[in-house]
Amino acid sequence: DRQTLVAVLQFLRRSNLRESEEILRREARLLGDDLGGSVATVATSSPGVAAVAAVPPGKGEAHGTAESVPPPGGNPKSGGALSSPSSKITHSGDVSAVVVEDQPDVSAVLSAYNQQGDPTLYEEYYSGLKHFIECSLDCHRAELSQLFYPLFVHMYLELVYNQHESEAKSFFERFHGDQECYYQDDLRVLSSLTKKEHMKGNETMLDFRTSKFVLRISRDSYQLLKRHLQEKQNNQIWNIVQEHLYIDIFDGMPRSKQQIDAMVGSLAGEAKREANKAKVFFGLLKEPEFDVPLDDEDEEGENEEGKPKKKKPKKDNVGSKSKKQDPNAPPQNRIPLPELKDSDKLDKVMNMKEAARRVRLGPECLPSICFYTFLNAYQGLTAVDITDDSSMIVGGFADSTVRVWSVTPKKLRSVKTAADLSLIDKESDDVLERIMDEKTASELKILYGHSGPVYGTSFSPDRNYLLSCSEDGTVRLWSLQTFTCLVGYKGHNYPVWDTQFSPYGYYFVSGGHDRVARLWATDHYQPLRIFAGHLADVTCTRFHPNSNYIATGSADRTIRLWDVLNGNCVRIFTGHKGPIHSLAFSPNGRFLATGATDGRVLLWDIGHGLMVGELKGHTDTIYALRFSRDGEILASGSMDNTVRLWDAVKAFEDLETDDFTTATGHINLPENSQDLLLGTYMTKSTPVVHLHFTRRNLLLAAGAYSSQ
Amino acid sequence: MEAAKMASPKSAPKDAQVMAQILKDMGITEYEPRVINQMLEFAYRYVTTILEDAKIYSSHAKKSSVDADDVRLAIQCRTDQSFTSPPPRDFLLDIARQKNQTPLPLIKPYSGPRLPPDRYCLTAPNYRLKSLQKKVSSTAGRITVPRLSVGAVSSRPSTPTLGTPSAQTVSVSAKVGAPVSLAGQRFTVQIPSSQPAGKSATPTTPTVQNVLINPSLIGPKNILITTNMVPPGAAADPNPLKRKHEDDDDYDAL
Repeated sequence: DRQTLVAVLQFLRRSNLRESEEILRREARLLGDDLGGSVATVATSSPGVAAVAAVPPGKGEAHGTAESVPPPGGNPKSGGALSSPSSKITHSGDVSAVVVEDQPDVSAVLSAYNQQGDPTLYEEYYSGLKHFIECSLDCHRAELSQLFYPLFVHMYLELVYNQHESEAKSFFERFHGDQECYYQDDLRVLSSLTKKEHMKGNETMLDFRTSKFVLRISRDSYQLLKRHLQEKQNNQIWNIVQEHLYIDIFDGMPRSKQQIDAMVGSLAGEAKREANKAKVFFGLLKEPEFDVPLDDEDEEGENEEGKPKKKKPKKDNVGSKSKKQDPNAPPQNRIPLPELKDSDKLDKVMNMKEAARRVRLGPECLPSICFYTFLNAYQGLTAVDITDDSSMIVGGFADSTVRVWSVTPKKLRSVKTAADLSLIDKESDDVLERIMDEKTASELKILYGHSGPVYGTSFSPDRNYLLSCSEDGTVRLWSLQTFTCLVGYKGHNYPVWDTQFSPYGYYFVSGGHDRVARLWATDHYQPLRIFAGHLADVTCTRFHPNSNYIATGSADRTIRLWDVLNGNCVRIFTGHKGPIHSLAFSPNGRFLATGATDGRVLLWDIGHGLMVGELKGHTDTIYALRFSRDGEILASGSMDNTVRLWDAVKAFEDLETDDFTTATGHINLPENSQDLLLGTYMTKSTPVVHLHFTRRNLLLAAGAYSSQ
Repeated sequence: MEAAKMASPKSAPKDAQVMAQILKDMGITEYEPRVINQMLEFAYRYVTTILEDAKIYSSHAKKSSVDADDVRLAIQCRTDQSFTSPPPRDFLLDIARQKNQTPLPLIKPYSGPRLPPDRYCLTAPNYRLKSLQKKVSSTAGRITVPRLSVGAVSSRPSTPTLGTPSAQTVSVSAKVGAPVSLAGQRFTVQIPSSQPAGKSATPTTPTVQNVLINPSLIGPKNILITTNMVPPGAAADPNPLKRKHEDDDDYDAL
C-alpha cells in the first residue's frame, strides 16, 4: 500500500499535478500508518489516479504507469528531493524511517524489466554515465569502466523486452562500439535479438537476465559511483545496478586496466571472492603398495639387460615415500573407487618400469614430437584419444563412426565367438591369448552405433572400454575386447560435447549443450551427479588426477571446478575471452591449464583459486593441452597448425601468495610468455586436435590434414 | 539494404544474395558454398510449414484470411514441437540439488564388468528364432520343419548370419543334451517332446525335427532347438533315421 502511495505520488508529479501532489504528500506524512485510507482519499481527489490505483504493487505486473525516473527537466526541486534518500528501503514496511521519495524501492517493487522507464532517455542515462566515468580519476576509471558492458546489455534487453524496438536499435547502434573488443561475439548475438519473442528462445540470454553479473570494485571507486548515481538523475541506472549487478567490494587499491582485463571476459562477470574460498583437496591419492607381483615379474625375466634379479624390496617405488597423509590430499575413501584388479597391478608395474626409463624433460631437453595425421578425413575428424600406454588411438568422426587403430605393430583382436570359445583349452597358461580371434585381427576396427557426429572419445585406464559421446545426445560405452557397443547412456537430450573416464576407471563425466555436466558410473544407467551452474554449453570436462574433482570449461568463458562428493562448485575461474576448449591438470594436481578460442593458455592455482600465468602465442583456438609426465613441460596444440612447448616449472615457481593476493585474488601477471615458450613446431596444414605424452615422455600429437 | 547486397562472382539469385548477407551480418565469414543452399532450403521449408499451419488455424477460426495472430500461433506451436531448448537454469539447479544429495554408491569388489542391468545395456541378442508350425498331414509323413528367421542382426563385423544350407542332409540321431559340434549342417535330432496333455507317458514317438543350426547364433547354450507339439498320430515316421525329404519351400528367402 505504501508503495502504491509512492507510485501515485510519482504519477502526479509526472502529470504536473503539483498541488495535488503536495497535498498528498502532506497527508501521507500525517497518516504515516494508515496508508490505505490515504490512498483512497487521494484516489478520489486526483484525476486520472484511478488508473494508477489499479496498479498493484506486486511484481510481474506490466503496464506500470509509475515512473521510476523523474521526468527530465522537471521541477528541479522535486528532482532534488527525490534523489536525496540514499538508504535502500526494506520491504518490512518500516514507514517511519521512510521519506516519501524512495525511488529505488518503488522500482524494485514494480519489477525490473516491466518498468516503463522512458525509453528515449536510456541513451541519455548511458551517455551521462559514460561522461562521468570518463571524467573520473584515472585510478578509478578502469574499475568503473567494467560497468559499461553489463549496463549496456541490461538496458538493451530491457528495451527489447518492453518492445521498444526502434529505441533499442538506436541504443545499440550508438553504444555498441564502445564496448570492449572481447565482448564482440556477445554483442553480435545481441544485435540479432530485436524482439521479445527472440529472447524467449535464447537460454543463455535468459540466464544472463536472471543471474547477477559480478563486478569487483574497490571501495573507493564504489563510493564514487554510488554518490554520483544517487545525486544525479540517474536512478534508472542505479536501479539496474542494484537489480542485476552484484558488486563485490574489496578494500584496497583500485585495480589497473591490465589487471582487470586479465580477469574479466566471462558472461557473468568475474567470480565472487567467496566462490573461490572453499577448501579443495588437490593432492594426489596415495598409490597402493604391493610388492609380490613385482618380484614375480622380475623373476620371469623382464630385465632385458640380464642383470641379476634385484631382491631389494620395490615397495617404496610403488607407494609414496612418506607414510604421512598429505594435508592437501583427499582421504582415500572420500569417494568410492574401484579396487585394483590383478591386471591393473600388472599395468602399474609396467608403468613403473617405463617411468624408470622416462626422459627427463626441461628447457635443454625438449621432447620429440611424433605426429599422427589422419588423412582423407574430409574435415570430419572431431575427437581423438590415445591410451595411456600409447598402444591404441581412437578417432571420432562427423559421420558418426568411431575408429580404433593400433599404434603398435600388435594388431587389434577381438574375443572369439562363443562357439570357438568352447573349443579352447581353458586350463592352458596362455588362455588369455587363446581367447583372442586371430582370423579377424586387424589394425583398424570401426564401431558403428551413433547417429550423429562423435564429439568426444575416451579410453578407460585399463583399456577395456571406450567411451564416445555424440551430437545425438548419448554417451556410448564400447568394449575393446569384442569391439561392440555395450551401453548407451541417455541423459543429455542435446549434443554432448565432451566425455572422459576417471583416472581410476568406473566413473566418467560428460558435458553438453544443456549446460550441465553429469557424472556417471558404468554400472548405473542414470547419472550419479549433475553439475549445474554454467550459463552456456559445457564444452570440456576433465577429471582431477585424484578423481575427486571435475573441471568443466564452458562457452560462457568460465571454468568451474566441481566436487564429485557433493556436486558443489568449489572454484570459478574467469579470464578467458572465448569458449574454453581444452583443460589439463598438472600431474601433481595443483595447477590447471586452460585453452580457449582466444588463443591464450591460462594457468590457475587450484588451492588458492588464482590465475598464475598467461601464455600468449597461439593465434587460434587451442584444442589440445597436455602436461608432460612429470609436469615439467606444457604442450599446447592449436588450430593455427602449431604445437608449442612451454616451461611449466618456471611458470609455476615463485608464486606470490601473500595475504593481499589470496584475499582479493588480484594478481600481477608478468609478461613472460616469451620466456616461457620453449619451442614452436609447425605442421604444414594440420590443426592439432590431441596431444599425449607417452610414459617415456615422447610427445604424440594428432590431427586431420586439411588441404586448404 | 539494397546497397548492401553481396556481389557474388556469378549472378546468384536474389535470395541467395540475401542469405549471404545474413551470414555476413551474423559474423560468419568462412563457410562452404553449400551452406547457403542448405540455409535457403531450411528457410523455405520452415516458412512453408508455418504458413500452412497458419492457414489451418485461420480456417479453423473461420476467418477469411490468414492474419498475424494465426502466424504467431503457428510459430509458437512449431517451436514447442521441433525447436526445443534445453531446460531452464532453475530447473537444472533443482534437479542437480536432488541428485547430488544421494551419496555415491559403494562399489562392490570383484564383480566383473561393471555394467548396468541387462535391460539398459545393448548386449542382449536382438533377434529371436522363430519356429514355424507346418501342417503335418498324416499320409506324407512329413516332418515339421522349424524355420529360422533372423531379424536385424547386431553389428557384428564378420560372421554370416546363417550358414549356407548344404544340400546334404546328414541324419544324426542324438540325444538331447549331448553337445553336438555343429558347423552349419543339417541334422535331424530326436527329442522327446515335452509333455503334451494327455499323451502317453512313454516317449515312444519322438518328434523329429530338422534343424538348421548355426553356431554363431548360439549363445551360451549348446543347441538351440525349438520343439513343436505334433499331434500324436501325425508324426508317424516309421524310421526316424530315414533320410527325409527336403522341402524346397521350407526355406525362407534368406
